[in-house]
Amino acid sequence: MTLLTIDDLHAGYGPSDVLHGLSMTVEAGEVVVVLGANGAGKTTTMRAIAGLIGRRGTIELDGVPLGRRPEQVVGSGISLVPQGRGTLGQLSVVDNLRVGAAMRRDKDGVEADIERWCEVFPVLGRRQSQLAGSLSGGEQQMLAVARALMSRPRLLLCDEPSLGLAPIVVQELFATLSEINTTDGTALMIVEQNAELAMDLASRVYLLDVGTIAATGTPADFRADDAVRAAYLGY
Amino acid sequence: MELFLERLISGLTNGSIYALLALALVVVFRGTGTLNFAQGELALFTTFVAWWLTTQSIPVWIAIVAALVLGFVMGALIERTLIRPVQRRNDMAVLIVALGLFTGLNSLAGLLWGSETKIMPSPFPNGLDDYVSIGGARLYFDALGVWGALIVLMFLMTLLFKKPTIGLHMRAVADNPESATLAGVRTSRILAIGWGLSGAIGALAGVLVTPLAPQQLGLTTMFSIFIAASAAALFGGLDSLVGAIVGGLTIGVLEAMLTGYISIIGGSLQQTSALVIIVAILFVRPNGLFGTQKLVRV
Repeated sequence: MTLLTIDDLHAGYGPSDVLHGLSMTVEAGEVVVVLGANGAGKTTTMRAIAGLIGRRGTIELDGVPLGRRPEQVVGSGISLVPQGRGTLGQLSVVDNLRVGAAMRRDKDGVEADIERWCEVFPVLGRRQSQLAGSLSGGEQQMLAVARALMSRPRLLLCDEPSLGLAPIVVQELFATLSEINTTDGTALMIVEQNAELAMDLASRVYLLDVGTIAATGTPADFRADDAVRAAYLGY
Repeated sequence: MELFLERLISGLTNGSIYALLALALVVVFRGTGTLNFAQGELALFTTFVAWWLTTQSIPVWIAIVAALVLGFVMGALIERTLIRPVQRRNDMAVLIVALGLFTGLNSLAGLLWGSETKIMPSPFPNGLDDYVSIGGARLYFDALGVWGALIVLMFLMTLLFKKPTIGLHMRAVADNPESATLAGVRTSRILAIGWGLSGAIGALAGVLVTPLAPQQLGLTTMFSIFIAASAAALFGGLDSLVGAIVGGLTIGVLEAMLTGYISIIGGSLQQTSALVIIVAILFVRPNGLFGTQKLVRV
């Protein structure tokens, strides 16, 4: 079943568009990886879906047009882990998680989820009352993912989660993301420059080039395509 | 000793007013990241309205409540209609808008009510005999009322910022507006509430100070108070509520003591000399006394 449908999406900053008629889909429970060079429009796509920037074109969730304001997007079940982690540095770890549940009214459920993510990410559990700004980069990335999951999304958008992290931390992070995908059925859309690890998770891969989809296929297709492999996977 | 106590009392009273206005500045700064230059004149305008209401034989307490509500509404409206549209383009533009409001609100008050000095009635008993004696020094009830107002407000603000939803969301928006937005926090509503709150706090400072101020209620009443309050906010670190209060009280007491004990300072240099000391302290602590040094770890 198709969860997210994007059709002929145009978006950008100021007068010039970055995305020129981008179309793609995400199936329920699927892991989609979006590859592309710097400036291809990966982050812009994420920000347009999340409602952070204006857009033209259709985005539908379960066949229903997606709202254009961020709180509508979160409310309908899409959550973005922004590039650079977006840590609320002066707030404690647990308050960061509470902010992530801003749209929820079920207090008990929120507390239960906080407990859950503190177990899934033990570093967060150990530092619950610490200021989030004092966490290491890897810990902040875990926190960003956990914060986004606090809204109980059906689709989690991750914008370059591996940025600036040690390889071992990236591996751990992707393992956790994969686990969440399996246990909760949360669909993932992951933007990565550092593609190899993300490809292991992916059921489908989109290749973005100059604001439009240049190619799509399974990870195996992409690994088999010499030109793509050389350009985007680097081997 | 008696003289010292009297100076201390007067310093703390003025300081409480500075602290109130500094709190208003800090609430806006935390949300919007700009110093609201119009804060003092907004307080002046709402105080004029309160004064006008009392001339229409409305009881002073009701007039004050009306001024607070008006302060809230004006603050929120200013954020929504003037600040937000220009902030999208440029942070500097917000400063210019605030400066425009500064002169605009002052002129509007002058246009509506004229430039002659008004007598704003005090909400507290303020006859010549309304005081308690402490070690020979007179602590007047209206000064006590100002202290009480600051304490009550401090208490309410702490409660508000600790509140699970709105307080948390206000802190989140102040910390990282984009992350707050992404989590579904209605950032624009939070910002409007912040500006509204600061408008109301400013109004409170205005109605409390004018009955005590030597120049009563005139078009220039808030100038020196605003300067002291912005120094207090800066001294406290601009983003700290506790800092604003400590900063305000410090400046108030410094002013009273310097003026009282160093005769050369007298009446004309009092504010300057207090500010010089603040600047000296800022040399040593650039983030102010309680300002947060941004924790950045990558």
